[in-house]
Amino acid sequence: MQWKSNFERQSEEEEIKAHGLTLDFDEIARRGAMSKEEKLIGKWYGVYASRHPGQHMARVVIPGGVISTTQARNIAGVAERHGQGRLNLTTRQAIQFHWLKVGALPDLFRELAEDGNTTFHGCGDVVRAVTACPMAESCPYKRLNVRPWAIRTQKALNDSRDLDNLPRKFKITFSGCPAACAQPYMNCVGHIAVQRGSECGFKVVIGGGMGWEAYVAQELFSFVPEARIIQVTRAIALLYRDHGDRFNRQKSRLKFVVARLGIEACRQKILAYLQQEGADTAGLSWTPFEESGRPFPDRPLALDSTVGTDGRGIVRVMIHQGELDHRPFRALAELADIYGDQKLYTTNRQNIEIHGLEPAKIPEVEHAVHTLGFETDGFYTLRDMVACVGTTYCPKAVATTRDLHALLQAVVRKPEFAAIQKQAIINITGCPNSCSPYRIADLGFRGMRIREETGSVEGFECTLGGDQQKHGQKLGEFKTPDIPEVVHHVLTTFIHLRTPAETLTRTVNRVGIAPFQKAVFS
Amino acid sequence: MNYPYCKATNPTEYSVVEGLGETAKDQKTLAKDIPCQAACPAKTDVPGYIEQIARGDLDAAYRINQECNVFPGVLGRICTRPCEDACRHHWTNTNGPVQICHLKRSSADHLSRPPTALPGWFPKTGKRIAVIGGGPAGLTAARELIRYGHAVTLFERRTTLGGMMLDGIPRFRLPLPTIKAEIALIVSSGIDVRTGECIDAARLTELEADYDAVVVATGTTLPRPLELDRPTASPPLPAGSIIPGLDFMKAYNDGQVTGLKGDVVVIGGGFTAVDCARSCARAAKRLLGDGGEVSIMYRRTEHHMAAELEELEEIRLENIQVRTLVTPLGLVTENGALSGVRFIRNKVQETASTGKPAILPIEGSEFVQPCHTLIVAIGQEQDRSLLPAGLTAGEGQKTNRPKIFFAGEFLTGSSDVIHAVAQGKAVASEIDRVLMGVERKKNHVTIEQMRHMGDGETGRQRAHDLQSPAPMPLTDIPGRARDNAEVEQGFTKEGIPVAATRCYLCHYKYSIDNDLCIHCDWCIEVAPRACIKKVSRLCTDADGFIQDYVETDVSAKATFIHIDSDACIRCGKCLRVCPVGAITMRKASLTPCLANPS
Ligand code: SF4
Ligand code: SF4
Ligand code: SF4
Repeated sequence: MQWKSNFERQSEEEEIKAHGLTLDFDEIARRGAMSKEEKLIGKWYGVYASRHPGQHMARVVIPGGVISTTQARNIAGVAERHGQGRLNLTTRQAIQFHWLKVGALPDLFRELAEDGNTTFHGCGDVVRAVTACPMAESCPYKRLNVRPWAIRTQKALNDSRDLDNLPRKFKITFSGCPAACAQPYMNCVGHIAVQRGSECGFKVVIGGGMGWEAYVAQELFSFVPEARIIQVTRAIALLYRDHGDRFNRQKSRLKFVVARLGIEACRQKILAYLQQEGADTAGLSWTPFEESGRPFPDRPLALDSTVGTDGRGIVRVMIHQGELDHRPFRALAELADIYGDQKLYTTNRQNIEIHGLEPAKIPEVEHAVHTLGFETDGFYTLRDMVACVGTTYCPKAVATTRDLHALLQAVVRKPEFAAIQKQAIINITGCPNSCSPYRIADLGFRGMRIREETGSVEGFECTLGGDQQKHGQKLGEFKTPDIPEVVHHVLTTFIHLRTPAETLTRTVNRVGIAPFQKAVFS
Repeated sequence: MNYPYCKATNPTEYSVVEGLGETAKDQKTLAKDIPCQAACPAKTDVPGYIEQIARGDLDAAYRINQECNVFPGVLGRICTRPCEDACRHHWTNTNGPVQICHLKRSSADHLSRPPTALPGWFPKTGKRIAVIGGGPAGLTAARELIRYGHAVTLFERRTTLGGMMLDGIPRFRLPLPTIKAEIALIVSSGIDVRTGECIDAARLTELEADYDAVVVATGTTLPRPLELDRPTASPPLPAGSIIPGLDFMKAYNDGQVTGLKGDVVVIGGGFTAVDCARSCARAAKRLLGDGGEVSIMYRRTEHHMAAELEELEEIRLENIQVRTLVTPLGLVTENGALSGVRFIRNKVQETASTGKPAILPIEGSEFVQPCHTLIVAIGQEQDRSLLPAGLTAGEGQKTNRPKIFFAGEFLTGSSDVIHAVAQGKAVASEIDRVLMGVERKKNHVTIEQMRHMGDGETGRQRAHDLQSPAPMPLTDIPGRARDNAEVEQGFTKEGIPVAATRCYLCHYKYSIDNDLCIHCDWCIEVAPRACIKKVSRLCTDADGFIQDYVETDVSAKATFIHIDSDACIRCGKCLRVCPVGAITMRKASLTPCLANPS
């Protein structure tokens, strides 16, 4: 057997990646299974193994969180033909099929491509789908419309073959104002539209992220002129490509690079990359300034159907647990065709929006949506819980997030909590990867198993009082059946302690976690 | 709500997270985790030095060996290697054990700087100790006693130090410069050496009066007698017809055996028998197949011979016959000279019980093996003539006289160098305890968190385990015949890292803190082999030592996620993947702990 006599500092994944990032899915389909190496590289094509043996997941990339109704029908058709008709919305505004046989993959790729859909770079160590505020065009607080920038950035970086092999995934988001609805502080790169005097541009924060070691993004530039944002993003990606840890995949995200090098050193390197690429760095600033845009509330999106600044109506569709059948999805596309702007918008709380409605038609559309079995109110409230798919599909999950979702719906809908519906949101994630970012929610749950005298049972770690810039504090670890009671105690305590209009997170930050712990544990 | 929940206690394999493990559990876990070290009589830190070799620091590797087993260059050639039999590589089909012994030699062969004597542990005590016998046990005892702060006088009957290393092992296996260098290193630590001084009972009594303690380590020097029939009323055979194995080896090493003629028979199955035969083959220039035969005749089977299969193969290449299952009965003479040895053949009687198979003579199977020189290498015994009347062995290394101690082969009977070294270390520690009234140096388990290896990174991968072992370059037969050259040449520069990277580095301990673990099983997914188990119950002994576990594949029944160090290859993948940081990498090593050191 071959000699391999040096201790090496390279991960197995890097070794596999070094052998090339391309796959022949027709060949794989003929063979009927993917090798270990192919499973890794499959991620570049948006394909992931499912928890269910023999099944695969494929993720359709939706840049900026918007697709045409034609694309939507195409996706519905693919789900119907290959994915048992099921569609799942992700917290990064993508759509996933979960029930794919390996033999279906090549056809699926071809069929998706017919209407300009793709799963390429849906997963893998690449620039992932760039997300944006769902109401990018019409939010009353927006500084500028970030959607086109999200889409253009995604295209530019995905077309850069020198960014195909990053140390790990690289997530970018665009937020229309400092209210940060697009979650810039927990992405690798967060672009936040800001106003400086009469001029609009972007504040750029980098190095945020959830996962086991969660980091809040730090400010890289206080102001970047709109037109330079793509080049700046590319320079950040280059920094990551060259400085991310390629040995320890658990510590390779940009957040670790920023933590390791420091924001100042990162900035210098990024400026050097810009220079090396011949980009104009004029106008880039990192001195703080007073943002002069319109004041915004804590949760600008905590509203139901509304009329945007463009005078057009918006109807929101709450997708129960983020999963729906291809038929209602087609029906929603049809509603957008008839009443709206012929697009469907996906949100980072796993919901769908129809935009461009005549305000007068809102009730009609709402009614149609209700007939399909969806609610059109309760967004950004206790009811609007986000649960990742958990053990339903995900091979990494430890707990059945959807069970907890169902258990908690019964609690938060109790009449006694009616007054605080808009005061707290709940995120539930099945594992520390935090696909549903539990640390930034008022109430967060992260799946785990809890040891007993012998054996172990499912449970969750519960955190309280999180937001993007200050992560939640740990309340405790609870077995799943005990959690409704825990939440009941927390919400009751919140009602006692809160000042009017205070969110749960603000109350926790004001009074500390101790009163809540006391309520739960005594 | 029944909070806080009732949970099984978080299991630990060492008594402390880091620091000193001073309990029986720590010793047991260490012995289980590092089987080679446990098997080494001198408790050599095998993974410690192999890691140094793998990382390229051969000087450091030598130093570790020097500390643990005193004679790295010597033992790296001729050790009987109990460690290799215990090596974890033996447990699965991964190409045999780590070449622990040869690696030790490599560290001695490729030193970049000459080694220096080891520092003492304690200030001068003013105690004086006499050590009788300059072999491996005596030399080791002397070195260690010096380090305890005592003054040591070493008495040796011969004019040179070395004992069995010098006399009992042929130079083509153990070259003289290697022995000399390592002895000089020991002597340089300040031992008063008196060579050419033979100690008899009277002198021993004097020493007992003059010194605070006396170590008798004179080894086994008397050949064990072999009773053979001789033709009645035959005149005594000419001198040199029948030679005890050890005498022959000594003469050979001193260059006094030349031009051996006729057929040679060596009786015995131990290392000395093989060494004698190989030396004869050289002395008689039979390596290249000249006339006459050199034969090893052994009572039992090849399986029972001390030599490894490879060595048996080598000696056949050297034109030495090996005959097993033969028992000598008597001598045959011709014209007053030895002409043959009468043997009877044996058969193996397999017994159903667990006992050893019995060796039984086959009636009527007698035959005469031509023989002009007979070497009897069936072991040696202690020469007890230096003991004053009434002196007898006591408990352990003590005797019935408080100041006199026995060590090495003199105490244990025929053995080998590594056991002699262990004896030397033990007697030094025993004497220090007796003289000072307390145990001033204890070996505890030091447990170190490998924080600087935060990624759990040893650099090891499964591919390292599965490499073919490095070959040991050998001198060809004509070369061996020419100048008595050393047969094994030592690993090549290319071979050393191959041999070293195969070692699992068992001193690293990856373990899961079950209070942090969330049972995600990610570690199990990435593991290179079945090293991490879902476990419903851990079985501990009275000391809390985890002996075994009950595995389950059902999550609901899994109380713990447990790393089975017996299967761990120390790749660190689990540590890196664990999303809650529940896995730590620690290093456990046996460390001398000193009370009031110098
Ligand atoms: S693998 Fe290395 S440390 Fe482990 S038993 Fe073998 S030689 Fe010793
Ligand atoms: S370090 Fe971890 S993954 Fe690697 S062999 Fe040991 S227990 Fe298994
Ligand atoms: S990866 Fe960590 S948390 Fe998960 S089972 Fe292993 S030790 Fe436990």
